[in-house]
Amino acid sequence: MIRQPGRAVRKDALKPLWRASVLLRVITLLFAAGVVAAHSGQYADDALAWVAVGVMAVWTVVTSYYYLGRARVALWFTVVDLALCCAVMCLSRLVLTHRQLTVDDVPLIPTVWVTAVVAVGAVRSGMVGGTVFGAVVAAFNYGVRGYVDTDLTRDLVLLVGVGFVVGLASSTSKQSAERLAMAMRAEAATAERERLARTIHDSVLQVLARVRKRGRELGGEAAELAELAGRQEVALRALVAAAPLESNGSGQADLRPRLQVLATDRYQVSVPGTPVTVPESAATELAYLVREALENVDRHAGPTARAWVLLEDLGQEVVVSVRDDGVGIPAGRLAAAEEQGRLGVARSIRGRVAELGGTVTLETAPAQGTEWEIRLPYPGRSCG
Amino acid sequence: MAERAISVMVVDDHPIWRDGVARDLAERGFDVRATAGDAPSAVRIARAVRPDVVLMDLNLGTGSGVDATREITGELAGTRVLVLSASGEHNDVLEAVKAGAFGYLVKSASAEELDDAVTRTATGDAVFTAGLAGLVLGEYRRMAAGPADPATPQLTDRETDVLRLVAKGLTARQIADRLVLSHRTVENHVQSTLRKLQLHNRVELARYAIEHGLDADPPQ
Repeated sequence: MIRQPGRAVRKDALKPLWRASVLLRVITLLFAAGVVAAHSGQYADDALAWVAVGVMAVWTVVTSYYYLGRARVALWFTVVDLALCCAVMCLSRLVLTHRQLTVDDVPLIPTVWVTAVVAVGAVRSGMVGGTVFGAVVAAFNYGVRGYVDTDLTRDLVLLVGVGFVVGLASSTSKQSAERLAMAMRAEAATAERERLARTIHDSVLQVLARVRKRGRELGGEAAELAELAGRQEVALRALVAAAPLESNGSGQADLRPRLQVLATDRYQVSVPGTPVTVPESAATELAYLVREALENVDRHAGPTARAWVLLEDLGQEVVVSVRDDGVGIPAGRLAAAEEQGRLGVARSIRGRVAELGGTVTLETAPAQGTEWEIRLPYPGRSCG
Repeated sequence: MAERAISVMVVDDHPIWRDGVARDLAERGFDVRATAGDAPSAVRIARAVRPDVVLMDLNLGTGSGVDATREITGELAGTRVLVLSASGEHNDVLEAVKAGAFGYLVKSASAEELDDAVTRTATGDAVFTAGLAGLVLGEYRRMAAGPADPATPQLTDRETDVLRLVAKGLTARQIADRLVLSHRTVENHVQSTLRKLQLHNRVELARYAIEHGLDADPPQ
């Protein structure tokens, strides 16, 4: 079974950042307590200052448990965190004397402790979260002091800057974790596919090939069985050989595997050795058109008709040809069918190719088979 | 068939398949000199028995069929390699052809097709499937899209026409009719596309070896 490591990886990617934000809160708490101790005795309300430090200590413990224990941090909790931090800042108005607030520049009670909540906003919600939290804390900083000056504006720049930078780090690690998860999934799928292919190649295919060969030589009923085995062999080989049908995430897809799976014992598919990338929608549509053309061979070209699909990458142009060696279409029959308004294969293929911005030509003659050639232009694209 | 039976060696790591093909070929009058189950013994045995044609599977358990192809075609002038492989091992097939293989046949080919392919390889005609033609066309276009280099081989318009028709499943005879050429000329065009690719590959390998100081002795 293929594991789905995506969620686990994304969750783990932010763990170090959460740990750092908790550590920052603990260290800044100690710093804040030190500042309060240093100014103890000079405050308007010493007791309230220590109550505030107590609240900060309790809240530091609560948030540490929450942020380190949760797989997914809720937005509301970070907002509550922000509100509490701002509330403690507001308490400073009651604790500090007016002179301390305005002239002496004594730090507010939480001091740098509030930067931890900016980091929380940034880790939780990326650049936007970090910047907003930083701006809110800076706004309260102005509000509590009640004036604007260079020092407070420096704080604003620092707070918003920290929020932005930590947020960027958070978004980046989330993205790279997602990419890693995608790569791991793709790798697991490829490994599984290769294992299957090897197993099938080593066992089933060898036996089928032998049955087909020997049965054909024995003739009679054995030859019929050989025919069946041979058909399965070719289909299985094509399936095993085709690359995975995944698009690469950027809306582009390799056209080759989508055509290769159409190969059977009567239909051969030839492709280049390097990927032929086209927009996802065009790949799906082209594969559909080729399938349609092959079904048409099945219906009209005769029971023993064979067909060849050729995919060519000319850089600015992708060309798909479908040729069969069947009975062909009498001159004018196709045009006649079109004029009668019947939705024949020609109409349908032509219409769909036109929608893709391409052109289609059809060559046919009685007993000469038919050959479709679909050309899709991709200006500015390069081969391979 | 000529006065002397064509001598063949079969290389495949699957005993069921290997012995089956060897028996089929022997029954059809080929001189099956030897079989081998992996790349190193394939090279060793080929040196000893010098068969006209080596039927080479690319998906070998030990060693790569591509490297064995390169060593055999590089060393034994009279021996030609025909790749007989599961369809769709695309880059392997292309690499083997660039390394000197004279052609490629899918394992699902009929006994008559195999018979014909071995005979043609022995007489020096390239054996192309539609799939191989598609790969070779793609390879030339890939090289043409790369950085401009006068050493990069290019297809002439005629060769491109011929290869496209091979890739669309036409036989040499049908191509000759359609392009109003002789059968021989069509064969020559097909061979020429292979030869240019192989020559370029040898030059590239030599250039790489010199640039990386590997030109002293071939690795063992």
